[in-house]
Parts: sequence; structure tokens; C-alpha cells
Amino acid sequence: MTDRQYQQFHFTGRGGEYFRIWIVNVCLSIVTLGIYSAWAKVRRNQYFYRHTLVAGASFDYHGDPKVILKGRAIAFLMFAAYSVVSQFNPAAGVAIFALIMLAMPWLLVRSLRFRLHNTSYRALRFAFHGETGQAYVNLLLWPLLSFLTLGLLWPMAQQRIARYTRDNSAYGDVSFRFEVGVGEYYRVYLMAILIVIANFAAALSVAILLADSGLMPAGVERTALIGAIAGLGMYVGIFVFVYPYVAARMQNLVWNNTSLADHRFVANVKASGLLVIMLGNLLLIVFTLGFYKPFADIRLARYRIEHLNLLAYDSLDQFVAGMQSRTSAAGEEMADMFDFDVAL
Amino acid sequence: MPVTAVYFDGQQARRHEVMLSLDGDVLLLQGDAVERRVSLSALKIPPPLGNTPRLILFADGARCEIADNQGFAAMLPHAAASWLSGMENSWLYAMAALLLTLVLAAVAYLWGLPYAAREVADRLPDYVLVQMDNQFFASLDQTLLKPTALAPDRRQALGERLQGMSLPPGGVRPNRIEFRGSPGLGANAFALPGGSVVVLDQLVDLADNDEEVIAVLAHEMGHVSQRHAMRQMLQASVIGLAMAWYIGDVSSLLAAAPTALLQTRYSRDLERTADAFAADMLRINGIPVSRLADMLRKLEASHRPDATKTEKAELMIDYLSTHPNTEERIKSLRGR
Repeated sequence: MTDRQYQQFHFTGRGGEYFRIWIVNVCLSIVTLGIYSAWAKVRRNQYFYRHTLVAGASFDYHGDPKVILKGRAIAFLMFAAYSVVSQFNPAAGVAIFALIMLAMPWLLVRSLRFRLHNTSYRALRFAFHGETGQAYVNLLLWPLLSFLTLGLLWPMAQQRIARYTRDNSAYGDVSFRFEVGVGEYYRVYLMAILIVIANFAAALSVAILLADSGLMPAGVERTALIGAIAGLGMYVGIFVFVYPYVAARMQNLVWNNTSLADHRFVANVKASGLLVIMLGNLLLIVFTLGFYKPFADIRLARYRIEHLNLLAYDSLDQFVAGMQSRTSAAGEEMADMFDFDVAL
Repeated sequence: MPVTAVYFDGQQARRHEVMLSLDGDVLLLQGDAVERRVSLSALKIPPPLGNTPRLILFADGARCEIADNQGFAAMLPHAAASWLSGMENSWLYAMAALLLTLVLAAVAYLWGLPYAAREVADRLPDYVLVQMDNQFFASLDQTLLKPTALAPDRRQALGERLQGMSLPPGGVRPNRIEFRGSPGLGANAFALPGGSVVVLDQLVDLADNDEEVIAVLAHEMGHVSQRHAMRQMLQASVIGLAMAWYIGDVSSLLAAAPTALLQTRYSRDLERTADAFAADMLRINGIPVSRLADMLRKLEASHRPDATKTEKAELMIDYLSTHPNTEERIKSLRGR
């Protein structure tokens, strides 16, 4: 029987439950002057992974807090050195930043290795086998080329990044496969540009209507007023329409073209759903002085995870354990500290 | 009471539905195509984490996931909880942790950070300070500041008079005193983090005599002596980093706003200290302390008349929030 069956990913975490874990984590991290933060990270990851279920089994995280603490210490010292030096001598700060940027692909490879090696499902580990040389091409050269072409090559760079990270990831002994042309990426961004243009036209007309309505304070120059209102409209529009659209489309695009052996994935994240959650989260975090953060994390995770399906071909029993390599956490913690991330 | 669980052998992804039961201190695992008897001491049972499935980890990499948390706790009561999971599961502890976090954050902000900033600022070597101010001048001269329009002999006279004055205990002379013009900033003088003092032309024009300029410079030297600007800058960097870390996910724009708000508190305390220093220095050198009070009144008035223009209004708000109430300062200076 060749059964293709949908297995929805489920997320069973709850805001109240996670809030208690989060606040205990924050409190113990402060009391121990940051040392506990490594244990806190493991607990947070375990909470989210173990609450993520598909096909009757949950994920798990196995990072060793002591290894993470070591990585964090190295990353913190580097970051502190960078901050202090750039404060006193901006030129040296720029040089150090350039060096760190140059090391970024190397760090990201280590980060991915650590993260995937320490993730398991059904008692089998994930793995990352990407080579560092390839990382320089895909994670540094392509983004750099897209920067030099004023973003014209950015969709291409994104496709290369996704292909590199997915093709080199494995579950057990089976590699993920990522197959999609660059055209699909350009389609998403073309649509985004059309939204930006429509947004600009709308913001400009509203600004002109407002400026001529006589509701505005007198004595302010008309063009400056129109510029200010239209600028605000663009800012809000990009946050409200463009960002959720691109984020939703990218998640769907990446997952819908990822396969693992004969199994496929189906993601159906909607821009409107993502917008409601992100906007609500942002407002509530601001109004609660940040204490809504754990609830916000849970809401976003639930939305993203529950809109992902595994399209399983036959059973999942065929996977067997793969070879594992040694990993260290320094790369991951460095990447975290300097805010590098590659979405998986 | 047997408990249902799913079992994975760690070699293959196959899911086995099993029943768990205890036989003394041996765990019995029975199900489709699998049967194991393992002593409890050879197993790892992680403490609970929220409502996530409970786990049993075997030495060979196999694992059990148990969704029935209550059944599991009833079967293995001694593995039911740890002090940590107990804390995480209780709203009472959560609220206590919340309270403690808020108190610690307040203590760190009110005392810890100013103390640390002072300790670090006092230990910075001079060449770092000089280097820093060079950087500041390089960028300020390109943006906010213009060359001074004051006559060279006036500048020299003011500089020499200041050099000739004696300092109160602990006083330090500025690395440099620089005169600059700046249409945007109005009548003002300020100390840079490295210990240089910038005097703007409008301030000199506003003063009726040199003693009033000296009084303001004495106030700035109070800032320089205690490295106030450096301490402020260090504190601002730490708060900025903490804010960026805390709400960095949301938006770095949001992180900047509270940082600016939190910063004003330090300034008020430091202004009072600088006033006290200036009063001491003026008295030692036989200049009436009222010169500073007079100058403060004039400065306030000079920033007020054009308050209708938005640009000036912003400056005014800025000036008010970072300086203690002028009347209060004048009163306290008169009392000296």
C-alpha cells in the first residue's frame, strides 16, 4: 500500500506554563550572574522541542549546558572586547567587526552542527555535514554579491542559503533535499515590490488628502508634512503588509520544496495570520514592559509549527541512526551574540 | 498500574507502543516486537519540564516517551519532581521569582551600574581618554560644531585665568578647553567623556563678565574631575546592550527609546555634584558663588524666549529633563 498521509505538526506548549519556566530562568540567571543562562537555554529549548509533536513522537534537545556555558563565555568576551574597543576607537572596532564578519560562515557551520547534532526525533539525531568552503560561497559570497547589486541578487542568495543548509542537513542517515528554482524566490519578491508600490501610492494619497484637509497644524510646510505622513505610512505598511507576506511566503516556499527520502513537507502559513500574531505580540510586549514575551514566543511557535505538515510516504520506520561528529558550542553562541541566523 | 508509553530503540525510527510496569526496582517494558527488563539504577529519568512528555533514557540510546504524566508519577513517585521543576510548576514561586527579578534589576540600575561605571571610569588610562576626545572632536566638528568667532586674545585670557586658579581637593583640570560656535545648540558648555570641555560662543556672549564664564567652566570641571561624562557613556552602553538583548527580537528602534528615558536620572544627580564642585572652586578663588547662579538664570532665559519654535522646544525639554530645576539649583547655590 503506497499511502501518502498528512501528519500535522502539533505544538502543545502553553503560555502560562512557559511563563513560569521563563521567569525562573531569568531570575536564576540574574542571581548567578549569567552562569545559569546556559542551563536556562537548554530548558527553554527542551520545552519547545518536547512540546513539538508529529506522527506520535516528540522532538528533544540534548545540548550540554556546560559546553554552552563555555561557548557563551568565549562569545561574551569577544563581544565585550568589540564593544569596548569600538567605543574608544571606532576604526579598530570596524576592523574587528570586519574580521568577525569574515569568520561568520565558519561560525555558522559550527552553529548548525551543534544545533542539529543536539536535536533528536524518535531517538535518532539530526546532523549537519556542510563544508566550510561551501559555506563561504553560499553564506558570504552570495549575500555580498546581492549587496553589491543593490539587492537584485538577494532572492538568488536566499535560495543558495536555503539549498546549502537543507541539502547538508540529515535526519539519521538520510539527507534532506531541497529542490526549487530561483524563479520562485523572485516571484515572492516581485509580489512584495508590487505591495510596496501599492503601499506607497496609498500612503501618498492619504498624506495629500490629510495635508489639504485643514486638520493639520498651520505653519508647517506642505511638502514636509506630506513627506512625513507618507513616510510614516510606508513604515507602518512595510511592517504590516510586506514583512508578514515575505516571512509567510518564504516559510512555505522553503518547506514545500524540502523532502526527506520519500517524505515531503507542506507548509501553509498565511501572511494575515502571521500579521495578527506579530502585531498583537508587539503591542502586548510593549504594554506589559516585556513580561508578555514568553506568551508571545508560545503564540508564534504554535502558529508556525501547526501550519506545517509532514506528507509521509508509507511509514517513518525506515530511518536508522547516522554517523555523528564531535561538536562545540562556541560557534553557536558567537552567532547568537552577533545576531547571525539562518532560518531552518 | 501499568502505564502506556512509546518506545524507540535508538537505532531505528520505528515507533513501538509499549506498557511500562515495575517489578521491584526493575522496569518492565512490553509491547509489539519489544520486551526489556532494566534495573532502575541503569536508567536516566529527567525531571519533569512543564507538561512535556516524561522521558526514560536507556544507556544504549533508546528512549521512552510517556504522555500520561500522572500515571508515570504514580508509578515512579521518587522520580516525579526536582526542586527546579517544583519551582517552575508553582505560580507562587513564579511570582516570587518575578518580584526578585524586578528588585534585582532595580538595585542593579540604581546602585550596581553607577558603582561599576565609576570604578571602570576611574581606572581608564589617560591616553585612552585623549584618544577618545580626539575622535569626538573629529565627528562633532563635522556635524554640530563650527569654528569659534571669538577673538583669540579673549580666548587666551579666559584660558589663562582658569589655569591660574587653584582647585578644590580631588579637582582635575580638563585635557583641553576648546571654543566653538554652534547655531543649533545655543548658549552652552559641555564636558566630553575623555575630559575635554567645549565652550560655545553664545555662552561667552551671554556672560556679563569673565567671572560668569569661569563659573560655568568650574561647573564643567566638576564633571571632568569625577569623569561624569565617561560614567554616563559607560552606563548608557550597558543599558543599551541590556535593552537590545531583552527586546532585541522585537525591534532595535523600541530598544533605543527606553534607554534615552532611563538615562536622565543619572544626569540630575551628577549636575548637583558638579554644582557643589563649582561652588567650592569659586569660593577658594575668591569669586562670588552667585556668579554661577546668575549665569544659570541667564542660560534658562536664553533657552526660553523662542520656545514657540519646535526645534527650540525640543532643546528646552532636553535641557529641563537632564538638569535639575534651575530655581532649586540657584537656591542651593545661594545657601553655600
